[in-house]
Amino acid sequence: MKKVLAILLAGMMTATAFAGCGGSGDASSSGGSSNASGGSSAKASGGKVDEAMFGDETDITLKVWAPDKGVSLAKQHIEEFKKMYPNIKFKKIDVVAQGEGEAATQLVNDPNKAADVFSFPSDQLNKLDAAKCLSPVSKAFIEDVTATNAESTVKAATLKDSKSKEDVLYAYPETNDNGYYLVYDKKVVSDDNAKTLEGILKACKDAKKEFVMDCGNGFYSCTFAFTAGAVIDGFEEDNETQKFKEYDEDEAVDTLMAFAKLMKEYKGTWKSQDPAQIASGFKNGTLGAGVDGSWNSVADKETLGNDFGATKLPTINVNGKDKQLISMFGYKYLGVNAKTKFPRTAHILAYYLASEKCQQDRAEKLGWGPSNTKVSETEFVKNDVTLQAIAAQSQNAVAQVNIQGTFWQAMGTLGNEMMKDGWKPDDKAATKKLLETTISDVRDEG
Amino acid sequence: MIKSYKARRIISNTLIYIILAIMCLIWVSPFAYLLLHSFRGEGYVTVNYLIPHEFTFKNYIDLFLGTGGDASINFPRWFLNTLVVAIFSCVISTISVLAVSYSLSRLRFGARKKLMNVGMILGMFPGFMTMIAMYYLLDAMHLTRTLVALVICYSCGAGLGFQISKGFFDTIPRALDEAATIDGANKNQIFWKIILPMSKPIVVYTVLTSFIGPWCDFILAKIIMGDDRANYTVAIGLQAMTTNEFIQAYYKQYLAGSVCVAVPITILFLRMQKYYVEGVTAGGVKG
Amino acid sequence: MTFVEYKMLNPFQRFAYNFKKFFKSIPGAFGRFFSACGRGIKKFILGIGKGFKNYGLTFVKGDWATKLSYLIFGVGDLHKGKTYKGILFFLVELLYAFYMVFFGWYWFKDFFTLGTRETYTTYDDFGFPQVHAGDESMKILLYSTLTIVISVIVFIVYIANIKDAYRHQIMRQNGEKPTTLKQDAQEFLDGKYHITLLSFPVLMIGIFNILPLIFMILIAFTNYSKEHFTLFDWVGLQNFGQLFDVINSNKKATTFMGIAGWTLIWAIVATFSNYILGMVVALMINKKGIKLKSLWRTLFVITIAVPQFVSLLLMNQMLQENGAVNILLGHLFNGGESMGIKFLTDDVWTARITVMVVNCWVGIPYTILSMSGILMNIPEDLYESARIDGASPVKTFTAITLPYMIFVTTPQLITQFVGNINNFNVIFLLSGGYPCNVAV
Repeated sequence: MKKVLAILLAGMMTATAFAGCGGSGDASSSGGSSNASGGSSAKASGGKVDEAMFGDETDITLKVWAPDKGVSLAKQHIEEFKKMYPNIKFKKIDVVAQGEGEAATQLVNDPNKAADVFSFPSDQLNKLDAAKCLSPVSKAFIEDVTATNAESTVKAATLKDSKSKEDVLYAYPETNDNGYYLVYDKKVVSDDNAKTLEGILKACKDAKKEFVMDCGNGFYSCTFAFTAGAVIDGFEEDNETQKFKEYDEDEAVDTLMAFAKLMKEYKGTWKSQDPAQIASGFKNGTLGAGVDGSWNSVADKETLGNDFGATKLPTINVNGKDKQLISMFGYKYLGVNAKTKFPRTAHILAYYLASEKCQQDRAEKLGWGPSNTKVSETEFVKNDVTLQAIAAQSQNAVAQVNIQGTFWQAMGTLGNEMMKDGWKPDDKAATKKLLETTISDVRDEG
Repeated sequence: MIKSYKARRIISNTLIYIILAIMCLIWVSPFAYLLLHSFRGEGYVTVNYLIPHEFTFKNYIDLFLGTGGDASINFPRWFLNTLVVAIFSCVISTISVLAVSYSLSRLRFGARKKLMNVGMILGMFPGFMTMIAMYYLLDAMHLTRTLVALVICYSCGAGLGFQISKGFFDTIPRALDEAATIDGANKNQIFWKIILPMSKPIVVYTVLTSFIGPWCDFILAKIIMGDDRANYTVAIGLQAMTTNEFIQAYYKQYLAGSVCVAVPITILFLRMQKYYVEGVTAGGVKG
Repeated sequence: MTFVEYKMLNPFQRFAYNFKKFFKSIPGAFGRFFSACGRGIKKFILGIGKGFKNYGLTFVKGDWATKLSYLIFGVGDLHKGKTYKGILFFLVELLYAFYMVFFGWYWFKDFFTLGTRETYTTYDDFGFPQVHAGDESMKILLYSTLTIVISVIVFIVYIANIKDAYRHQIMRQNGEKPTTLKQDAQEFLDGKYHITLLSFPVLMIGIFNILPLIFMILIAFTNYSKEHFTLFDWVGLQNFGQLFDVINSNKKATTFMGIAGWTLIWAIVATFSNYILGMVVALMINKKGIKLKSLWRTLFVITIAVPQFVSLLLMNQMLQENGAVNILLGHLFNGGESMGIKFLTDDVWTARITVMVVNCWVGIPYTILSMSGILMNIPEDLYESARIDGASPVKTFTAITLPYMIFVTTPQLITQFVGNINNFNVIFLLSGGYPCNVAV
């Protein structure tokens, strides 16, 4: 048994070969002929198009991937979609459950057996692009998609084609919510305390509760670097090396030292744990607040009930000045498989699923933050605490696109090092060295 | 200095009993924890105490009846899939292992030494090297997303694990073969009628080890099955329950599912333990 | 050192002696290895020469049917009345031709370039993108490898076909009749029984182990990476150069060396800790006078029966900062407060030691099982005569039990060592490799 196991489990290594994290810029794919501008007579708006746009596609068979919780709603949307085009012959449109986190991996593994239309988070965009798995947004819809969705979301899905140097929009914006924010128990942390990191930690310590923020996972711990000013900004000219915005090193080091000082001071209160534990922590009554992802908000809300509080990440006091924590923030997109047998229908369907109406439904029924600007302004979204917290944090965040694979581990190490018992928060030289090492590791400078 | 030999023995035995008891406690307690918490009623993921406050069968009931929705978590189906794959791959593996080890042990032919060396060398390569290629090969045969592919994957390399059963066959005296040959039996008859009936321990050992494989692997199976959840095995399914998407709602069911996988295999293993020991020991003698 | 001198040494001196002998023998072994390689190559070249010679000679000596076999498989056999074998040979050629025309050549023709056409996108009049798929190097490489392997096999069949044709020609000249299908079938159950038994397993291993292995080894000579994902090219030994480029402290080289160093430490510690501790426990269980032997064994064996992904993920949960282990330790030593030890996330060496300890938990039962079996198998009369000679229990242990066990289990030890070098699941499931640090 041991041998079989060793052989089979060990295969994960190859799985990572399939699915290396992140990805680099596109290597080679031509923007193609740009002779075609949106069809002369065909019009597209609000998710609906002329039936002529389907061309000669008939007996249409499609597969759609949606995350588990979204399957039934997606099915409903597809029924509505079919009704919109009574003269088109649809044979079968299946909705298959597939977690978004893994969608890209599955697609790259075997595009021929994957879905035609699928939902995926923004950090997978480079990988899909490098593997040439995405069919870019139809030119007929670009104008409408750009006009109706938040600018940041559209921008994050726009990559430069390395050959033609044209900007290409690769996927249809679906949500604007793939990030983390602060959740807290109102019994422990007051709304006022929730504004500063110091306040939260003090309130938690006084109540003998914990504060959870994962410092070993690059997705969360990059907050320290971002807040310090070391913000990533796409790639360098070589389309491979991660670029950082210019920052003031002294201030950056001071900020990191401020974080480390709080970790030290509130040792035992500030716990570095997987956010999956946060809901349990609230339930057990050991937790006062935590930095949690939007995908866990249902469980958090259910546990805390009326005491549930959610807001953007707090500020931290650096040299007497309150600095807002800057987080990593992602979006979700609907992509069209480049290998689809019905490209027109797939694009029209993706366009519909990304439309205002569908986004509204998803915001109401699933609690997904919309990218559509109109939906963001609706009463429902305005009154939802979580969605508002997410939206507020998205103003203080770095988009999760164009990230080199080396980023996550280096940032995880940064958090881990500062969290270590032996770390000296007032050692300026060591902090400076840590920051330099982190940056050079991200940039893969040997 | 303790004079009496007997007294000394009693003391040393008591000491051994104490050490063994402590060790067994360490070895068994994680499973006791698993069992206890699979009946836990409260909390989502982990709790900060050892004994659950509230005991319930709900986790098991939910696991088998499905908690509704789109029923992409279908544990009974996965259990059945795994059972089918395990049975078939176990039959094929056993045949392969016995055939290879018997020929390498008791038949004499030109390439015998060379084949044994090749087998040893192949065993040195980490198995995960071949995974991508395996997927494309199965894809070319139109077998991905099927249980047949899993059976192939789990049984294809079985022949390489011939060492232990070869060692076992080596211990059977050759005089038996010679006597049978004089009586006019051919090698086929010798294999089926004389050697195999004597080899119960090694057959059971091989069956047992190859039966357990499919219950444990999730990496290869996951790549082969992709999005086809109806064809998942328990291992992929349980692993999926611990991903971000499901862990909040399904963690306790995951514990229950783990118990459901572990209990039958444990019972099987304990019942067959005698043969396992005989097989591995006899095989080990000659390596 | 004579045998008598050796016998007079104490166990430690013996160990030192053997240790020295082992290392002394290494250069010699290397020398023998290389000279064997040299001889092998020489034999191979001579073999090829001989093959060519036979190939030509047979053609000259062969009759028309044998000569025709050089082009069409099986003609010689058919002509001499060995019908079924002739048909089989012919079918092989037919199938190979079909394979090459409809599949093999299509992929193999790009083997040397691994594809040149890039994927590109155009837009139709409505503005819909059309993605034109380019070459996929991965598939080209895999199916070319398959084609090469199949071609080699067919070549072997081809030579066999010629040899068989010539053999039957000689037989006819000597007035012998070819064997019938029934006689051959009988032979496959007796003299050639190994072929019957081995063909299926070897076929499976060939297709699903050896072929993928060749393919993956070939990948090492290409620039397959995330920059060259669909379309990659041969780069020769460049990857190996980078991997061992320690002088310029290439990042790949330093990473690889760091990992390789830790892997070696891990393999040694994991193998020997399991072995020694397992042996101690097995001796305790099997000591005379200890009751409930099977119960003790059974309790340990549960670890083997429970799938590792269950037990290791469970261990992972229990070793978290406020997991069960910390809670338990807290109850025992810290007055109910959780200890908050970060077993797996804080320090590299803490995590490494934790992983090694958990590996003992996983691995010791295997050693206990095999050791118990061996201990029961030691012939009782050995102990009997030792007792008559007045040997003390310690002496019996060092002179009989220990050498016997070490002798019997050495092959297992080697297999386990190799297994631990390739071991992946324990560390992956337990800590996911965190905290990442490649330095030893």
